[in-house]
Amino acid sequence: MLKVQLQRSTGFPMHIDFECAPGELHVLVGPSGSGKTTTLRGIAGLSDVSGVIQCKDQVWLDSAEKVFVPTHRRSIGFLFQNYALFPHLTVLENVSIPLMARKQSSRDEALRWLERLRIADLANRLPSEISGGQQQRVALARALARDPHALLLDEPFSAVDAPTRQNLYEALSELREAVSLPIVLVTHDLNEAIRLGDRITVIDHGKSLQTSDPHHLLDKPRNARVAELVGSPNLFEGLYEEGRLSWGKRGLSLSVKDKGKIKKPTEVAWVIPSHSIEILDSEEEVNSYKNNLIDCQVSRVRQLGQIAVVYWQVKDCDDQIVWQASSSELRRLGIEVGAQKKIYLNPEQIHIMPIKFHLKNT
Amino acid sequence: MTIDTQALILTLKLAFFTLLFLIPFGIWVAYHLASMQKGKSFLEATLALPLVLPPTVLGYYLLVSFSNVTLFNEPLTFTFTGLVIASIIFNLPFAIQPIQRAFEAIPQDVREAAQCSGLSPWQAFKLIDLPLAWRGIVSAAVITFAHTLGEFGVILMIGGSIPGETKTIAISIYDSVQNMDHASASGMSLLLLIISLLAITWSYQLTSKKRAA
Repeated sequence: MLKVQLQRSTGFPMHIDFECAPGELHVLVGPSGSGKTTTLRGIAGLSDVSGVIQCKDQVWLDSAEKVFVPTHRRSIGFLFQNYALFPHLTVLENVSIPLMARKQSSRDEALRWLERLRIADLANRLPSEISGGQQQRVALARALARDPHALLLDEPFSAVDAPTRQNLYEALSELREAVSLPIVLVTHDLNEAIRLGDRITVIDHGKSLQTSDPHHLLDKPRNARVAELVGSPNLFEGLYEEGRLSWGKRGLSLSVKDKGKIKKPTEVAWVIPSHSIEILDSEEEVNSYKNNLIDCQVSRVRQLGQIAVVYWQVKDCDDQIVWQASSSELRRLGIEVGAQKKIYLNPEQIHIMPIKFHLKNT
Repeated sequence: MTIDTQALILTLKLAFFTLLFLIPFGIWVAYHLASMQKGKSFLEATLALPLVLPPTVLGYYLLVSFSNVTLFNEPLTFTFTGLVIASIIFNLPFAIQPIQRAFEAIPQDVREAAQCSGLSPWQAFKLIDLPLAWRGIVSAAVITFAHTLGEFGVILMIGGSIPGETKTIAISIYDSVQNMDHASASGMSLLLLIISLLAITWSYQLTSKKRAA
């Protein structure tokens, strides 16, 4: 288990708190300058952070107790964004270096790692003689050859082309079947985070805002900032009072599942996942729902290959609902610009959260 | 035409001892300067002083500071030992700067990767930094060597012109000219020119290989 609790009140303030279990791939996601890379480098002892970092039974950092274990004594594998291979050493020698540091007979063991990552044929090449994707596999082999207690990946997929990235995703998933390590990955790409992560921590301005599994994060962001950072397309404001949400200037009234947490009328932000938006096609369907039916008109349709994004202008409201569907679904429902439909918003899926700032008009 | 072989041998001996002490020291200083974050400008400026100071000024200060100082019971003025120490001092920037540039050219993440691979600072230095900076080190050695052969002002100030003790080939050339022996002066000058040119050419070749690599 890797436990990270970073705190700093001076300079660039930091409040980061998360844990990563063996076998878990934990993604730190956030905009540039949010502190996610500083956090990762802090775990490795490469950046100056304060707080507590523990891995397995070792304390790597405890600022209160003045404990700081230097990088070379922390059992970590670190995968750098630009691979950072030793340019004067062959692939085999690169992978042997961590083994030499552990004073082990390195050659055979290094070769085994190269075979495992299917790059044994490159053993005698220099880093400058192999492709970016191959370099990354070498870097991964080198990181793992140390037999680390935690694997740290710093935006490992950002500098490679799409096919190579695909290839590396596969290498990573094979790796996860083979070794059971806490893996922390930093990325600014939310799609990547959702695709790869078992759990995600959203970081913004040096704070960890929320840690949860990808679907929970998308459907139930903790607050409006998280919703904005994870790119919730349907993020709105409203006034909540006892199970009812008043939306827009005319006060469209929506029914919401009352969790009893909010007592008095409160301004809130709310989201609804795209998959919980139902476009009603017939009178029967419309009649089957008693509430949360809203009148909408298609203002824009954007085709993205097989997928279409439809923007619904809500009647009596300035907001637009964004909805994704396949092109065939669009044809079946007869959706084109100007089409009018009733939309049903499932009360169970409307997620209400505190509003910390006013959302930008999008 | 006579070539002052005694002065030539003394000069080569001086260059050898200068390199012997200065290169390890230069590597040590350059390595720390390259990884220093704050306050290195003043240190760098101090070490670069011999580049801009007139050699006679530097020689004068060394003469003043070396007088009444002994090392292993030997005075430092007008002796070969004093010459070696002076030579180390006036060659500081020529040795340190190329090595420092070479260390600085090693990408930060490569150095960090060495730490993350579990290498101790000494292992990282030996296995990663030093091999990656070797061209800078060779280049520093060549420039220091060539510069020592040709140095005149400092040597004359601190060493005078004692044959077999402090009279280097540059001073021998000067003496020949004073004695109107132009044939010897031109012969020794040509010799110095050729040695220096060859040394610098070799150093440039190394640097351009680095650029190509």
